[in-house]
Amino acid sequence: MSLADYSASREARLGGIGLLGLLVLGAAAVVWFDVPVERIVTVGFVNRALLAASPIALAAIGGLYAEKSGVFNIGLEGFMIFGAITAAVALYGLGGTDPTQIHLWAAVLLAVVFSVLLTLAYAVLLIRFEADQIVAGLAVWFMGLGFAPFAASLVWGTVRSPGLTRVNYYSLPYLVEIPVVGPILFQQSPFVVVTAVVVVAAWVVLYRTRYGYWIQAAGDNPEALDTAGVNVNRVRYATVVFSGVMAGLGGAVLLAHAGNFIGTGDTMVDGRGWIAIVAYLFGNYNPLGAAAAALLFGGLDMLQVQFQTADIAVSGRLMGLAPYVGVIVVLTVWGKTRMPASVGEPYESEE
Amino acid sequence: MSDAPDSGRVRAALDRAADRMLDASVYERIGIAVGSTGLALAIGLVIVALAGYDPIRFATQLVVGSFGSERAFARTLQFTTLFVLAGVAVAIAFRAGVFNIGVQGQLIFGGIACVLSIVWLAPYLPEGRIGGVSLIVVGLLASAVAGGLYAALPGALKAYYGANEIITTIMLNFIAIGVVGWAVDGPLRPDDARSVRTEYLPDNVGFPQLLFDYPSFSLVGLGLALVVVAVISVLMTRTRFGYDMVTSGYQLRAATYSGVDAERMIVATMTLSGMVAGLVGAVFAIMVQGYFIDPTGLGTYGFDAIAVSLLAANNPIGVVPAALLFGALDSASSHVQIHSEVPVQLIDGIVGLVVLFVAAPELFRMIAERTGLGGGER
Repeated sequence: MSLADYSASREARLGGIGLLGLLVLGAAAVVWFDVPVERIVTVGFVNRALLAASPIALAAIGGLYAEKSGVFNIGLEGFMIFGAITAAVALYGLGGTDPTQIHLWAAVLLAVVFSVLLTLAYAVLLIRFEADQIVAGLAVWFMGLGFAPFAASLVWGTVRSPGLTRVNYYSLPYLVEIPVVGPILFQQSPFVVVTAVVVVAAWVVLYRTRYGYWIQAAGDNPEALDTAGVNVNRVRYATVVFSGVMAGLGGAVLLAHAGNFIGTGDTMVDGRGWIAIVAYLFGNYNPLGAAAAALLFGGLDMLQVQFQTADIAVSGRLMGLAPYVGVIVVLTVWGKTRMPASVGEPYESEE
Repeated sequence: MSDAPDSGRVRAALDRAADRMLDASVYERIGIAVGSTGLALAIGLVIVALAGYDPIRFATQLVVGSFGSERAFARTLQFTTLFVLAGVAVAIAFRAGVFNIGVQGQLIFGGIACVLSIVWLAPYLPEGRIGGVSLIVVGLLASAVAGGLYAALPGALKAYYGANEIITTIMLNFIAIGVVGWAVDGPLRPDDARSVRTEYLPDNVGFPQLLFDYPSFSLVGLGLALVVVAVISVLMTRTRFGYDMVTSGYQLRAATYSGVDAERMIVATMTLSGMVAGLVGAVFAIMVQGYFIDPTGLGTYGFDAIAVSLLAANNPIGVVPAALLFGALDSASSHVQIHSEVPVQLIDGIVGLVVLFVAAPELFRMIAERTGLGGGER
């Protein structure tokens, strides 16, 4: 058993113990406080959790690809903010306060295009100019926190947009009638499906294609990849741009689910980009694991709604902190993930 | 690795670490800081022009709003005081290679601890100056303890469980805002309070007005911040503890060889950083506000302090001019908000650009080479 295998299995065990601990804690809380479980875990709850999880999962997939290739994109949060504001401004520009669904999809597309341009510049700064990845990532966040409300103020006069529109859910007749599964699978936001497709495709590309192996090699052993005649930095450019695009898409999806832009405080993104980083760490850089972790955090985020409907008197503001606490618990138990060997190091070819 | 470290090699490694720190000369760093700020401001003005406003008018308002009157200057110094302390808090951690992004959360807990300890103790102490000074001392201590503890937690999680401190401290910021916000609106809110706030500090708690006739600023506060700069600066450059702290940031292995307990060093660094961060909250409560409010309305000193510290190359003394710059920007924000059509959030965006450019010194080296400017920076 190689060292890597050993550490991987140890991590899996640690993570298992952590999850078990969480479950035991949860169960103890349920018994102790006499929580009505059937009123908390409902179909509506699963749906809300899926909605909340999809932006996080998208950003997590992006961040995972960048980090696998050796670049720590800590700017996910910022790129999500830029995605959300671009989508909002585009939506308003196309359809005013009464946009159609076509406008909405076009706005999401425009947000993606804008993210490509933005992350190209970012990638040049990181790879060509070897900028400090942590500081530059923080800078993207700060820029988002400033420029997004600024843009909102220019367009709407305040940092909040008026109500625009939400994405329509698709609904398949007859199939919806199936109990439990029907309303979850066959009446859903199309972006949840988009997210699911991205997650599975990301897994296939990373583990089953030649390009996926290049990405892994660029992070774990860039010299070997270089020797094999593949341009390491080109791979990294691609993954960094992809990560920004996924985060931007995540922000746009967040907007499409919310229906309006909120730029107060930490903006409507409110830490989801940071949670996305933890989601892929928790998923041990596996897209499927990252998506599962995103679902966990989405569920924690939506617990407050369930507690309210179940008449459990906990301050909504305090319950809203559940995902942040969850992130710290997860990182503590699962902190020692095996990072790709060359994360954070600029690569210079010897030629 | 398991060989007994031979002292010659350790010495050489430590020397190399010191060399590396001195490698980028002071002039080069000042050049990068000035270049970053200038470029960011220039981009900001271009954005102002693109948005259809008059950039020259905006630039004038920035200057008028920060230094144009005694009131504006006092306001600039008020923000500068907070940024000096917050910047030093960040610098301590960054110098030691620990990314404490949680200064905001730590200053929130520091501030609330300061207000609560003073309000609770006030009835047991005499009124008048002696009681006031003792209460201030108690408040400052309480804020340092609270901030230190709130930073020690992510420090310990990093040191002993490998939890990435960037993410845990950001999460702890959200948690601090939520918990203190809830408390200030709930159990800590007096019955007669119309807005969300704690009890007022007693009348005898406050820094005396010297020179400036501006209620939210006192030279005593600025003096306190500068004393902290001096103490931390001496600690980092003249003591064994500071030397170990900085080396473990640059050369972890070398530091470990020379007998430094790396895990404990991380916790100690975070605690010290958090203690200074806590003081920011105390100075805010005592000098600026006179009570504590919902932290969402507090201002983002803890985040902007990261830019302050980076601009100063994480040097406590360099933090002072960087803090003055950011103090001026924040002060100008207050002016711009009232007297200009340009949305004030632009200034936050410019701050982000400053940080971005500070992160990429290579960019300026290239510009310097291409243009043949900055020969003196080499």
